[in-house]
Amino acid sequence: MADVDQFDSALDLLRRLDPKHTSEHLNSLISLVPSLTEDLLSSVDQPLTIARCRRTGRDYLLCDYNRDGDSYRSPWSGEFETPLGGSGVGGVDDQGNNEGAGEGAVPSERVRKMEVRANEAFDVYRELYYEGGVSSVYFWNLDDGFAGVVLLKKVATPAGKSQGTWDSIHVFEAVDRARTAHYKLTSTVILHLSTGNDALGEMDLSGNMTRQIESDLPVDDDISHIANIGKLVEDMELKMRNLLQEVYFGKAKDVVGDLRSIAPLTEANRDKATHQEMINSMKR
Amino acid sequence: MASQLATVSSFVEGAPPGELADVIADIKALTIDTPNLVTQLGPAFEKYNEEQFATVKLPGSSQPVIVSSHNSLGGGRYYDVESSTSFAFDHSTQKTSSAQSHVLESSNSDLVKSVLKTLGSHVKEHFPNASYGVYPIENDSKIAIVVVANKYSPNNFWNGRWRSLYTFSPSASSLTGSIKVDVHYYEDGNVRLLTTKPVSASISPASATSIVREITVAEKKYQEELNKGFNNLSEGAFKGLRRQLPITRQKIEWDKIAGYRLGQDIGGGTSKR
Repeated sequence: MADVDQFDSALDLLRRLDPKHTSEHLNSLISLVPSLTEDLLSSVDQPLTIARCRRTGRDYLLCDYNRDGDSYRSPWSGEFETPLGGSGVGGVDDQGNNEGAGEGAVPSERVRKMEVRANEAFDVYRELYYEGGVSSVYFWNLDDGFAGVVLLKKVATPAGKSQGTWDSIHVFEAVDRARTAHYKLTSTVILHLSTGNDALGEMDLSGNMTRQIESDLPVDDDISHIANIGKLVEDMELKMRNLLQEVYFGKAKDVVGDLRSIAPLTEANRDKATHQEMINSMKR
Repeated sequence: MASQLATVSSFVEGAPPGELADVIADIKALTIDTPNLVTQLGPAFEKYNEEQFATVKLPGSSQPVIVSSHNSLGGGRYYDVESSTSFAFDHSTQKTSSAQSHVLESSNSDLVKSVLKTLGSHVKEHFPNASYGVYPIENDSKIAIVVVANKYSPNNFWNGRWRSLYTFSPSASSLTGSIKVDVHYYEDGNVRLLTTKPVSASISPASATSIVREITVAEKKYQEELNKGFNNLSEGAFKGLRRQLPITRQKIEWDKIAGYRLGQDIGGGTSKR
């Protein structure tokens, strides 16, 4: 199937080109191969956009999961907001069905109740871990459970020319089983960092990493769903934060050191040889 | 069609160190319905190879030589000063052919050769794997000094490149240029370090020794600054984005948070209780 190959090639290309400009590359790919549009938009994570809820005045995040055409559903009001200022209930069809993301999905009453609680819970989480930023949670119904996305965004501008942006996108499915639920979580963090000054020039360290886990957890009621998802996301973010730290500030720095050695190599090699000699002499 | 060519050309231009072949394979799969698009990528390949200082081994030699606009003879031919050789370079296949003797004709040829020799010991002392070249440019009015170091480790999903380019003007006794570092890490993700540092210094006396000494000092200082940059981003911007743990040093008690009735004040979180 040529299309499958093309989709894989598009993803491979996006994994190689400068991750700071993923959205532009994505648009280029879509114009090059229009048949990939839907698949790419639903599987490639892009930095999140912030909007302000017209009803509550609170900021929320836009993504494919709360989109209906060019309208987006606010998690605080539950209403779709059009760019022109209108609002409505969203894309419910004649039969009242609205499953699936990206097409004006509206959760059922029960799932919307959970969504409201999840938004409040992750608002606390956001304040405790991010001390600022914006969070949004969107749920939608599945035949055998429900699914959702937890979004977090923070922009940091510390002193000097340094800049940082963090976008977390956690997509999960919760499939109901007897007294437990099976959770599948796919998490992406997009982290852009840059700094510069006369002595350093320009330095840009940008990218994204994705990890997946699956887990079966006990469920007593809808509230335990939210606690389970909260724990899964919290553990995943801790793991990913450590991983990002290792790759951005450990690995990348090590590779620069592999390319060029600050210490003269003859000296470094001599030190290594002396060290080895010492080890050998101790073994005797 | 023209815009499609511009699009795929920009993909070529953005290829990370050591991954041009992978990017080309992706482009071929994506443009399978318009196969003649790839055949028009010659200029994009040429630009990429010359800007990235592509390195290539000449037949019968183990020492790679550089391909850049500074040692281009035109018509797809380039030359190497050290081995006094010129060669044809195919930008699409990265293969060389028809190597022949090439004698450097330049009023600065003594300076070019002595910089090349002095630079050689500097490069060997700091780069485990680098190629370098010195060429007269701009109608013999200046010399270009090029250093490129690559380290590819695709099995471990990372590749890196260091590029230095300096222009020495004998008439102005000035050295200007830039250092660029490009590191790509792509295991279950895509992380890129891209840096640019302009370099500018006046050289006196205008000798190979003082030119290379200036380069040595500038590169050492830059690498130290870059290491500081990693540290500043880690301690500054990164820490300012997300805490490792809440200020209470405790993970969140989700059962409590999730259980609060709607409308109840939970804004302070667990830290206030």
